[in-house]
Amino acid sequence: MQYKCIKKEAWDKTIEQLLLSYTIFACVENEYGLDYELIRPADILKISYNKPKPVTPLKNFFLPVKENVTSDVSTDDKPTIILGIPNCDIKGLGLLDEIYLDKEYTDLTYRKRRDNTLLIASDCFSIQEHCHCATYNIMPYIENGADLAILNLDGTIFLRILSVKGQEFVSNISALQSPVNFDFISSIEKEHHATKELLAKSNKGLTDYKETGELITTQKDDIWKKHYSRCVSCGACTTICPTCTCFLLIDKPGLEKVKQMDACQYPGFERVAGGEDALSELHNRFRNRFMCKYVWKPLKFSSLACTGCGRCIDACIGRISKNEIFMELVK
Amino acid sequence: MLDTRNIYTPIRARLTDVIEESPLIKTFVLVPENNFSFKTGQFIELSVDGIGEAPFTPSSSPLVTEKLEVTVMKTGYVTDIMHLLKPGVFMGIRGPYGRGYPVEAFFGKEVLILGGGCGLAPIRSLLYTLESIKDKLVKVILCYGSKTPADCIYKPLFDRLNSLEKFEAYRTVDKADEEWDGSVGVVTTLLNKIKINIPDSVAIVCGPPVMMKFGTIRLLEMGYKDEQIYLSMEKNMSCGLGKCGHCMMGEFFVCRDGPVFTYNEIKHNPEIWK
Repeated sequence: MQYKCIKKEAWDKTIEQLLLSYTIFACVENEYGLDYELIRPADILKISYNKPKPVTPLKNFFLPVKENVTSDVSTDDKPTIILGIPNCDIKGLGLLDEIYLDKEYTDLTYRKRRDNTLLIASDCFSIQEHCHCATYNIMPYIENGADLAILNLDGTIFLRILSVKGQEFVSNISALQSPVNFDFISSIEKEHHATKELLAKSNKGLTDYKETGELITTQKDDIWKKHYSRCVSCGACTTICPTCTCFLLIDKPGLEKVKQMDACQYPGFERVAGGEDALSELHNRFRNRFMCKYVWKPLKFSSLACTGCGRCIDACIGRISKNEIFMELVK
Repeated sequence: MLDTRNIYTPIRARLTDVIEESPLIKTFVLVPENNFSFKTGQFIELSVDGIGEAPFTPSSSPLVTEKLEVTVMKTGYVTDIMHLLKPGVFMGIRGPYGRGYPVEAFFGKEVLILGGGCGLAPIRSLLYTLESIKDKLVKVILCYGSKTPADCIYKPLFDRLNSLEKFEAYRTVDKADEEWDGSVGVVTTLLNKIKINIPDSVAIVCGPPVMMKFGTIRLLEMGYKDEQIYLSMEKNMSCGLGKCGHCMMGEFFVCRDGPVFTYNEIKHNPEIWK
């Protein structure tokens, strides 16, 4: 892996310069926790590095809650940088790319936003309560899927180059230097190892992706009926999920279509005109989310449909933890 | 060269005629403004401007490309308004989408079609196709069931089919009226009347979910193999592009992987009859 480095103070100045030609979003700690925020010069010092994880998923940049998809694709022509993306979000984007950049039916709005954005991922040097990426063999650091990965080590910023776009980007920043000694590599590896240890400890007993899928498949309805009682079909879990992408098309005069994010957790999602609805009962909708993520999507796509970010557990107002349910299934 | 076609934008089509088939069913004749063709069994998203869109399999012949017929049962918000439309207005069409009937696989075979209710609409399109290739087929048998005689659409179709060489058409109703002198009972009862060489035939089932389920079970009892049975699945195909997720049936996006499946392809999935 190729790295470039720069002192933190010089990097902050670089960001100030970059703001002239880029719209930059980065992770900033606010009153609700860490989240992606639009960066103005005054915010540069507030940018958080290597800390998991933004409250909202990366998908929000590429799939707005509601947008007219038949009018001209009008994104801000100024390119965008998103800085500080954890690997769970980067891997989530993999599934979105498979769906929206599919060769036969490419979503132009999505493609324009993707092309216009530079992704700077961030290795996680700590974990949050519900982080469980490594259980699904997604590492808390980035090796592919983004353009660059950023690390802040003792006052020096390191950029790991992950794509041609990332290479081009760094080659235009003269203040970036090639590291002269490689001691930092062992420091990075130490951080990676420490984060993996934390994840392993925190998720002891949690089954891997394939085994979770097998467990879910073999369950009878009783188990879902037991756990759905605290679910109110609010859709927080799907809204906050980096890989849930279902949507509704709404018609507007002039044969225009407005795409609005939708979710299988809402009643009526699968209802057909005759009234039949495979997901009319709550326990079926409850099961559907797990089947979709762990059984059906893996049969269709190469990217995982749960990247272990744990946001669905954080967001549930009924305090339903899928991981606690899965632990119970193992018993 | 990057594709710059907007996948969500419909093409405009002028509604030139509205044919009343039954109290609840009308056929809409549409002339698309751009070139439009489909393969039998594929579906389109038909929109009422500013109101909504819904998936339909055209009921006309795929060989006729200058116009398109779509038969619609009044059954929900969009179709209620569709039934109020008068010729002259413009509607929107997206598609065609999905995998239709693999008619080449029927060459040299007897084709049994089991239809119910509004399922006759896509079947009519299939029948036109089969008629055009009848030299390559051994026989085509249509067994169709409707709730009442009044619910049966395309009544002249049955006489016409029975006058065609190699075609047989049978009808039954769940509930007869005073004038009805034909079969009474669910559509599978018609299967007792027909003569078919099962090893050299295929069976096609299209209709309401409950009819599809029991139709398939009966065909299996008769000795049909899983791969000989073709099912036209009905789900909430909203985008038609394999993206919106509304039509997921297990791992399948019915809009792209179907809507026509062999029973063999989907039998492992308990979701299919839901």
